[in-house]
Amino acid sequence: MKSRNTYTWAGLGLLIAGGLITLPAYFIFHLIWLTALGICMLILSFILIALGKAVPKLPPEVCSLLLETGVDNIASLIEELGIKSKAIYLPSSLAGKYPRAFIPLHSNGSHPEITKALPKRLIARYGSSPEDIGLLISTIGSAATGMLESKPGATPDELEAALTSLLIGRLGVASSTRVICNNNHINVEIFKPRLENGASWSHQCLGGPLATVVASVAAEAWDKPMTISQEVQVNGKYSVELEVGK
Amino acid sequence: MTLYNRYIITVTLLLLLTTVILIAIGQNSLDIYFIVYVIEALVITELYVYFNSKARRGLSYVSIILFGGFTIALCLQIIRILT
Repeated sequence: MKSRNTYTWAGLGLLIAGGLITLPAYFIFHLIWLTALGICMLILSFILIALGKAVPKLPPEVCSLLLETGVDNIASLIEELGIKSKAIYLPSSLAGKYPRAFIPLHSNGSHPEITKALPKRLIARYGSSPEDIGLLISTIGSAATGMLESKPGATPDELEAALTSLLIGRLGVASSTRVICNNNHINVEIFKPRLENGASWSHQCLGGPLATVVASVAAEAWDKPMTISQEVQVNGKYSVELEVGK
Repeated sequence: MTLYNRYIITVTLLLLLTTVILIAIGQNSLDIYFIVYVIEALVITELYVYFNSKARRGLSYVSIILFGGFTIALCLQIIRILT
């Protein structure tokens, strides 16, 4: 038997109950208010069955396991290499098929300038100097950007719409977003976030899960490298400040 | 609460509240109940624009069915008035 989720079961239950109420109420008892109540149940049953088909088939526990495994592997790699520099989120035009995070292995405080597309490898070279190498890795944001129906535009409104669609509509991890642009800085505010930020070394390097999504989407929208310069979570509001690269 | 749950709760509360109000004012025409339900369901569905494409496609089928019912109910009302 094909597995059904709770929405579909609730929808089927309401469909049967609605049918059992509507038909006798209209044809036998001639009660309009009870018939109307039955019609309400039928409308809700159609909506629940339609939404049941859109719910992901994988249980959240399995998704959580896959996510934790991936994040743990990246965290171990970064910690073992002792990398302290901040990741640069590259758009797909510079990183390959989808946006990725680039972590320079050697950093003198300034962000490296990446002007041409990097090879699709874990260890990628971005300059002519022997020290111009870094790690090119996929993050949660890389995969999340693939969920967008189209490439977001480079205006604050378009970025806000893309982030709202992704974080609220697709992932269901926040209640609303706001984007404010100021010269080469982008401030993104996420209200009522439902993803916790870790305090590990890799989080300081890559940023929290929500910040990686924001940085990846912004990099893709602006088609420019982005760096997470600050992320703060206070009173149910998560603020991410991005620095637009050259 | 996920977006799906919020949407379902909004529609449920609105339909139930409408039923209570229409019963309280003594409305006795089933067509009126149905037309009001359909309009409310369509408006709320349109307001939730951030659903993913799969959910939107499913809900658009529901909207077509409801709109079909709404058109039939409206036509029957017009015929009743004209005859």
